[in-house]
Amino acid sequence: MASNVKKKKNGLFLIVFLVLTVLCWCPIGYGSYGEVGLIVGMPSWAFILLLIGTVLFVIEWVYLFWTDLALYDEDLEEIMAALHATISQETIQEEN
Amino acid sequence: MVAVTIITGICLVSVYISYVAFRKGFTKNADDYFVAGSSLGYFVLIFSLLASFLSAFSMFGMASFGYRLGYGSLYVLTANLVPLGFLWYFMHKKTFLLGRAGKWMSMGAPFGERYGTPMKIILVLVVLAASIPYLVAQIQGIGVMLEAMSEGLISFRMGLFFVPFFIALYLMMGGMKGAAWVNAIQGVFFSVMVFVLFFSVMMKNGGFLPTMDLVMAKHPTLFQLGWAGGKVWSYPMVFGMASAMCLGCVCFPQPYMHAYSSRSARGLKAMFLSFGGICLVVITLPTLVGIAGNVIVPGLKGVGADKIYGLVASATLPDWLAAFAVAGGFTAAMSTVNGLVFGNATNLSVDIVKTLRPETGSSELIGLARMFVAIIMALCVAIAWNPNTPVAELSIIAFGTVAVTFFALWGAYYWKRATATGAILSILVGVSLNAGFFFAGGKAMVLFPQASLFQLNGFLAAFIISGIVFFAGSLLTTPGKTETKSLKLFFHPILTQ
Repeated sequence: MASNVKKKKNGLFLIVFLVLTVLCWCPIGYGSYGEVGLIVGMPSWAFILLLIGTVLFVIEWVYLFWTDLALYDEDLEEIMAALHATISQETIQEEN
Repeated sequence: MVAVTIITGICLVSVYISYVAFRKGFTKNADDYFVAGSSLGYFVLIFSLLASFLSAFSMFGMASFGYRLGYGSLYVLTANLVPLGFLWYFMHKKTFLLGRAGKWMSMGAPFGERYGTPMKIILVLVVLAASIPYLVAQIQGIGVMLEAMSEGLISFRMGLFFVPFFIALYLMMGGMKGAAWVNAIQGVFFSVMVFVLFFSVMMKNGGFLPTMDLVMAKHPTLFQLGWAGGKVWSYPMVFGMASAMCLGCVCFPQPYMHAYSSRSARGLKAMFLSFGGICLVVITLPTLVGIAGNVIVPGLKGVGADKIYGLVASATLPDWLAAFAVAGGFTAAMSTVNGLVFGNATNLSVDIVKTLRPETGSSELIGLARMFVAIIMALCVAIAWNPNTPVAELSIIAFGTVAVTFFALWGAYYWKRATATGAILSILVGVSLNAGFFFAGGKAMVLFPQASLFQLNGFLAAFIISGIVFFAGSLLTTPGKTETKSLKLFFHPILTQ
């Protein structure tokens, strides 16, 4: 149950990341050819681009540091123990 | 003379830092020398990764882009790199975990463990072949900059020896720890100097808004997309440039080396996240400086525009501070050379020599890596000797060539059905296409949208085809012993929790 919720949250973040990535890579929906108005001395699409970049940065920060979806140092010991056990097992099998 | 003193000072400080790392015993065994004993904290990691990627192009090139092409340049190296925060995390989380568990030290390790030795060797050679033209371009840039900054006191060819000698010296002495410390200090230095230059340039005309109003009145096209009849900053051009630069960054050796060197998961995440955030600010500023340069040093054309960063620094700062600002761009070039030379020397000694001669001991491995640092540096200086050597032009395909390893890496970590044949074929096809596009249509075919490629640039076309080859190749072949055996570790249930 808990892993399903995690999967859904992960999927949601992934979709948000992908949408914002496309917007960081192309001015679809907020840019236009030719003359445009200025916001804070910049063309409006450039200002929105920097804003989208900032929003993506903040969401990445939330994902990496404020959710239970990313890797944390507290989990490292358990993960390393499990991986070391597998590596030792494989080494023993190879030697035999 | 001021500039030469500053550059010499930077080189000597870098050597001293590396000497400290050496004296403190941080290069005693292979683990210490290649991955700093996985002991780097997040501050050093953040600025070391940043500096190892940002070359002189990020400062001088982006200012020149801003000067000539305006605000559309923001799609080249600023907001488009923010996605690296999650892309690097997803691609290299397992590099960090499996690397720590398996004591990996080089870029080839995950490929070798997952797909076998041939894949590992092909990868190392591909990355080396892509890196050399890029390194030559950086070293030539250093020679040109040094000649200009010293007003001819240090000739181009003397410059080729002068700085690479110091770089080789501190890489050989201090290993990963020394290189990371040097990179971090150089990264902080050039970031600070970019801020200093930005504020002085904008204050020259009464602030950011009045400066931009002046530029707008004289050059309105710099504020537009799709100008020059839709040719400059068209949507396909923007997408091609933005995605190419970002995807290329995922697969270079630097993120692998830094992932192995990280002390903690927190440091790893902070490093990956900060890169895009810092680029969003630190590279936007030189771009804006370049745009503002149109009202401070008007009328520069072609190659002349490449000097805009130094010219606006001279026009708005006292001489000594202008020299520091330009030296900032210089250190950016130095730190990129550090990162790439060290990454490749590690790959050659660990992935090739150690694989072919498993009995090679730890100290012998360090000795070999030091020798490879010297050989790579000497080779690059030799190629750069002729300032008109066309090989530097090839640096344009470095990102595309390395980016085609993306699918093999993704498959290694996230697709159980991936096979060595699919991975090897995808890399070989991708590299051949990049080279083919370059030789058929030059820079333009690699960088700009082509009608014959459905409005994609050569980079993206090669990237997509390499992906198709990877999936088709993997589905048409069956996983061998190595791939099957590797599943236990690469897809361990603990890694998916």
